[in-house]
Amino acid sequence: MSKLDLTRRQFMGVFGATAAIAGLAACGGNTASDTTAEGDEGSADAALVGSISCSGATSFQPLVEKAADAFMDANPEVSVAISAGGSGQGLSQVAEGSVQIGRSDVFAEEKLEADQLEGLVDNQVCIVGMGPIVNASVDVDDITTEQLKGIFLGQITDWSEVGGTAGAIQVIQREAGSGTRATFENAVLAGETAPDSFRPVAEVDSSGTVVEQVAATEGSISYVAFNYMENDGVKALSVDGIDPTQENVENGDFLIWAYEHMYTREDEDEATAPVTKAFIEFMLSEDFASTVVEEGFIPMGDMKVQKDAEGNVTAVA
Amino acid sequence: MANLMPKRRLENIGLGITGFCVALVALVVVTLIFMVAQQGLSTFFVDGMDPIAFFTGQNWIPEQERYGALPMIVGSFAVTLLSTLFALPVAIGSAIFVVEVAPGFGRRVFQPVIELLVGIPSVVYGVLGLYVINSLVKAIFGEAAPTGAGILSGSIVLAIMILPTITTLSMDALRAVPNQYREGSYALGCTRWQTTWHVVLKSATPSLMTAVILGMTRAFGETLAVQMVIGGVERSMPTGLLDPASTLTAALTAGLSNAVSGSEYYHALWTLGLLLLVMSLVFIMIIHLIGRKGAKANG
Repeated sequence: MSKLDLTRRQFMGVFGATAAIAGLAACGGNTASDTTAEGDEGSADAALVGSISCSGATSFQPLVEKAADAFMDANPEVSVAISAGGSGQGLSQVAEGSVQIGRSDVFAEEKLEADQLEGLVDNQVCIVGMGPIVNASVDVDDITTEQLKGIFLGQITDWSEVGGTAGAIQVIQREAGSGTRATFENAVLAGETAPDSFRPVAEVDSSGTVVEQVAATEGSISYVAFNYMENDGVKALSVDGIDPTQENVENGDFLIWAYEHMYTREDEDEATAPVTKAFIEFMLSEDFASTVVEEGFIPMGDMKVQKDAEGNVTAVA
Repeated sequence: MANLMPKRRLENIGLGITGFCVALVALVVVTLIFMVAQQGLSTFFVDGMDPIAFFTGQNWIPEQERYGALPMIVGSFAVTLLSTLFALPVAIGSAIFVVEVAPGFGRRVFQPVIELLVGIPSVVYGVLGLYVINSLVKAIFGEAAPTGAGILSGSIVLAIMILPTITTLSMDALRAVPNQYREGSYALGCTRWQTTWHVVLKSATPSLMTAVILGMTRAFGETLAVQMVIGGVERSMPTGLLDPASTLTAALTAGLSNAVSGSEYYHALWTLGLLLLVMSLVFIMIIHLIGRKGAKANG
């Protein structure tokens, strides 16, 4: 009984708190409706107006940031907010509709459930090639896909088995779920998985760290995108005698590559849809292709082969 | 009468504001616990995973949908215990020196220096660990630690990080021992060392324990620094101190960006978060328990 017996003072305290929270909630509601109203007005104008956000994979974020800067210079009324978060977050946020563009290194089919895929549009904006790198002291320059597979499955453990000077092979992996890792494993391991007993010497969460670790670790091997290969202390290997170059990826000779995707929604809000569409068109434009190459990626237009979500490679018609 | 009204209003405004603050804090805490628990428990109730298999499973391989948290649980506890073991003697030793032997030096020089260490962001410790500790471990153990990353490196970095926490709290604990105790001991003919060992340390034990637990809590929850130096290998159990491993916090941060909201992997990561929450609760309960016992023992 005594607990319920509020004095007036206590009542005022509780009342004040409740009122304040209610006030806050009301404020939140107001702001939301305000922005919607502004957005609606904006879409009526002829010039491109509006703000979109783009979240997801970090691998090609610098490229998208360059595109956004150039795009915003050309369209002063537009704002494109770029945030990181990883492919998984990018895909789930665009599926939920909380961002307009979700960046991913892998096909959405590999990450999302069928019901989440509904209404998603796959915009492939460029291609990223990847290849194996080793510590500069390793005296092997070429490796076969079979040998790579053996190394990353833990069956080949010494450099002498692949034509080098005897010495332990130290495997450095990307973390589970990384898009780079998925691309590499899809192309090299062909569906096989390493036994539980196999332990890499490190699993690191960015390509920059991979390069650092490989440069610092004798006998180490890992894999990175082409734009990370030119670094002191690491050496890129050719695979089956084919060098990891843009031309070889375009010809279909070099097999370890993936699309960079920018997923959008079919049923996007009218207020932002034109901006999103224009931004993606800008990313794919001829003008921007030179920046794509500068950043170490491969423009879509030059590809003579294509890949589907299951990994089947066919010639471009 | 006219004078009384503004005063009363002021009282009410004050109550309203402070009450609001309390309500806000309570709201945040409850929301947080609710969210973590809801997502974390989905692993068992929505995805139907067996809790025992989850907590005792020895392989964390998300691409094969195998979620065994034991490698990370072992990793977390190993680095926490080892780092405490490394840091504790140094922390208590230096606390005794600056409180019992050279209080002037302690207050003027040592205290500011050690407080500076508390404020250094963990990424700095991580970078330091990556370039100094890892290279050192690599140089000492050679082939056995090819990258230098592993439980040992993680523990050393954490030991350096929690050293200031344990030291400052130990200093406070020793200072809180009433001077009469020391004087009484000297009067009985005890030397300074005997006094420190038998009287000061003994009566400060509960507060020292609190200092240790708080240090352990920090070690257990530390993410960035340990993630940079431990190697991040979570697919199977570490077998030695030089083995690369992972901790609950490191696995959670590394995994979250790649997990899709609502997926099994995502829920499993939240379950790790829930485990962390429960563990910090346990640590806090231990501190309270020690505090209560200490209060009883000291009358």
